[in-house]
Amino acid sequence: MTEPSVLDRAYHFILRTFVETGRAPRSEALAAALGLEAEAGRALLHALMAQDILSWLHPGTDEIAAFAPFHTQPTPYRISVRGEQRWFAQCGFETLAVSWLFPGATVTIDAPCRDCGEPLRLDMQDGRILAADPPEMVAFVDVPFRQWHLRQAES
Amino acid sequence: MHLFRSEEHVLHWSGYRHEARDGLLSLAQVRTIFATRRFSERLSGTYVSRLATYRGEFLATLAAVTAGSPFWAPEPPS
Repeated sequence: MTEPSVLDRAYHFILRTFVETGRAPRSEALAAALGLEAEAGRALLHALMAQDILSWLHPGTDEIAAFAPFHTQPTPYRISVRGEQRWFAQCGFETLAVSWLFPGATVTIDAPCRDCGEPLRLDMQDGRILAADPPEMVAFVDVPFRQWHLRQAES
Repeated sequence: MHLFRSEEHVLHWSGYRHEARDGLLSLAQVRTIFATRRFSERLSGTYVSRLATYRGEFLATLAAVTAGSPFWAPEPPS
């Protein structure tokens, strides 16, 4: 059995904080949670963000901007769990990954259609789509997959 | 990486480019991709340590779901 590494522990703390509060922790909170000095917590945060976890900091800061599947700023992709809208997804595609983080709960995704602005709604539970309104809803990305990391680095 | 009411809305969208037509996926396709362990195991306490082991399943699923489209290839076509 694999023992959690310090990167595992940091990742888990940040993700759990997002799940429980809808917000990203500061590096000081990360350091405290892992029993580290503040500077070590900051270095750990940067080391974690260098991993292939689809997450990034605000440029030139120690502040988390996005931590997949979540985003710290309001986006068009609003996530509600048990009737409470507290989270934003980083993009339309990642909305379909959010329900894995709330086992057993119905996760509702509300967003505007990127073309016409009319509302879209998805209900999911444990990775399954329970309902889609409208049922003809689709997803689209105009950036080839091989360039996704380049696009994130520019964010 | 956006959601639309239907395929017609994607084609109507001002940002649509025909060169990116393979970037249009059904919800079922996206759900299948995001059901791989790269996404479903994020709550695992050893996610970062295991991340590299999830890559093969993710890329195989991505290729299968998108019928091997170069648009979804991790590297440019040779």
